[in-house]
Amino acid sequence: MRYVGQALCFAVFMLVVVWFSIRPEHRLRGADEAIVSVSISHAGKRLAECRTLSQDELNELPPNMRIPDDCPRERHAVRLEVFADDILLYRDALPPSGLWSDGKSIAYQRIRTAAGSYAIRVNMSDSGNDESFDYSETRSLTLHPGQNLVIDFDERSNGFTFN
Amino acid sequence: MLSVLQKTGRAGFSVLQHVLGRVFPVAGNPLNHLGALTIFFCWIVLVSGIWLFMFFRTSVSGAFESVEYLTHEQWYLGGIMRSLHRYASDALIITLLLHILKEFSFDNYRAKRWFSWVSGIPLVWIIFPLGITGYWLVWDELAQYVALTSAELLDRIPIFTGSMAANFLTDTGLSDRFFTLMAFLHLVGLPIFLVFGIWLHLFRLSRPSINPPRRLMAGCLLAMLVAAAIFPAHSQGKADLAFMPETIQFDWFYLHAFPLVERFSPGLTWLLLVIITALLVVAPWLPPMRRALPAKVDLDNCNGCQRCADDCPYSAIEMRPRSDGKSYAREAVVDPDLCVSCGICVGACPTASPFRTRSELIPGIDLPALSAAELRESIVNTRLADDSANPRILVFSCKGNPVAGRLRQAGEAVVEVVCMGQIPPSYFDFALSRGIADGIALTACTDGDCRFRFGTDWTEQRIARTRDPHLRKRVDGSHIEMLWQSNRIARQNPATLIERFRRSIVSGSKPGDVT
Repeated sequence: MRYVGQALCFAVFMLVVVWFSIRPEHRLRGADEAIVSVSISHAGKRLAECRTLSQDELNELPPNMRIPDDCPRERHAVRLEVFADDILLYRDALPPSGLWSDGKSIAYQRIRTAAGSYAIRVNMSDSGNDESFDYSETRSLTLHPGQNLVIDFDERSNGFTFN
Repeated sequence: MLSVLQKTGRAGFSVLQHVLGRVFPVAGNPLNHLGALTIFFCWIVLVSGIWLFMFFRTSVSGAFESVEYLTHEQWYLGGIMRSLHRYASDALIITLLLHILKEFSFDNYRAKRWFSWVSGIPLVWIIFPLGITGYWLVWDELAQYVALTSAELLDRIPIFTGSMAANFLTDTGLSDRFFTLMAFLHLVGLPIFLVFGIWLHLFRLSRPSINPPRRLMAGCLLAMLVAAAIFPAHSQGKADLAFMPETIQFDWFYLHAFPLVERFSPGLTWLLLVIITALLVVAPWLPPMRRALPAKVDLDNCNGCQRCADDCPYSAIEMRPRSDGKSYAREAVVDPDLCVSCGICVGACPTASPFRTRSELIPGIDLPALSAAELRESIVNTRLADDSANPRILVFSCKGNPVAGRLRQAGEAVVEVVCMGQIPPSYFDFALSRGIADGIALTACTDGDCRFRFGTDWTEQRIARTRDPHLRKRVDGSHIEMLWQSNRIARQNPATLIERFRRSIVSGSKPGDVT
């Protein structure tokens, strides 16, 4: 009888182990939802243009530091917004990374949205211009349930990608 | 607040202990071996993991296929190994959490015991990433979710530049090298830290219990094999970064924090984890525990026999060359930073004899909180009703044992000690031979699971005359009843058990024979 009891204890223990190793299921999205992932890594323009040093200024510098251009390191924040038709999905002003604010601005966000056809519009400003955007693109897309649309920025073509 | 939590925890463990005590022998009760069971499950994970690694391919395309091969083509071995790997990993989380809860509930984490508590916290921080990286390697839909969410968590740590999560959004961002890195972390990097962490965790303990009883191990392994055969672990659909499944089967043992990342944010999840960890780290000092005075060596009475050092559960006693010029080779030295003031050393000391009359009772090592002389005094002062029809029973109990209170209410005479192992067997002889009592009943603070690790074990062995100092042969063993040895204590009124013990003395039978 004691062994039957022990077997029962082991069975209960293993049932708890097996059950919670797979159940309850975790819901990642609604049945009719798609995912829009904004993942952009882009450096804003420098706060000030490079300035060419005069010969006198160069002479004052140690010989190993005589670089003709004085370029401030700090960069502008990148403003980014994403719309699906007229629905705002994402909007943020992304500060430059790095201790000296001279790195890239990183945008990363997963957004659940209803599946369907949309005109996806992405606007981005990297020059500190608050009035308008330096880059803008609209793409008509159909998002299927479960589809993961990734919006990125291609530095080579200076345009957005929709994967 | 803290005491309410501990009281609730103790009540919960008491119920569990009693339930399990009905079917498991005291020595094999799983609740008495939670730490050792956790290590045993680690062994199963290690052995099964080696088998899985032999067939695992560390590449984007090969990872999922190789696991599928093991699961389906080689189901009779690889599939079983995979299930064992999964279920042992999950089971160890249960035993680990119970282990932590138990030590907390029974207040075994404060004062001198802070080191074992604090050194256990990094182990938790190693075990969870170990399990999580294991899920990455399968590279199914769950792995995809785990990889993305873990990366989002890691991205929140300001030391990383760029977005790690971006690598898990499209197939182009992922390379075979990622799987090599994950395999290294899962198979080599984290396990090395785990082994070192376990060593550190047990560092201050003498005779650490790292293996549960064989029957318990066999039972666990058998149960896992049966579970592996009936509910084999399997992968979910192959990871497809362009698609997110609606639902996934979820391992709540390892991934319980992940939904918080989605529901709130990675930052808040980190904050919560950091707060919990910080609370655990400072818990031994919240509030500071009043330190009991450590055991004290009296060199005039210490003959350097080493029994105290052998029996100390916390390696707090060291034998050093004699410093007082006496002819003995060595002397006992107590490290006050390690001594938990349990008094087990006094129980081991052959000079702690209550029969001493020529000189004051000062043993070679003594406990200031309850000295050997004070213990003798409390035995001598016990007033037991002299009734020839009813044998007089003297009960010894560990402090804080709820059974002691119930026995007192029932009119029994109870002498409380810090730990059962504190009583030298000569004291039982003393109480019986001096006619103070006709029977000795011993009841420990928990059912066979000594708060000071070896108090009940050493007492049993001393009474059985297998461990020094032995109970003298003239003492009739049937007049000493160790109530923790029996599961009866778990489900019966202790006063009834004492009454049975009393009747057994009258009838001359062994207490266990009385029904």
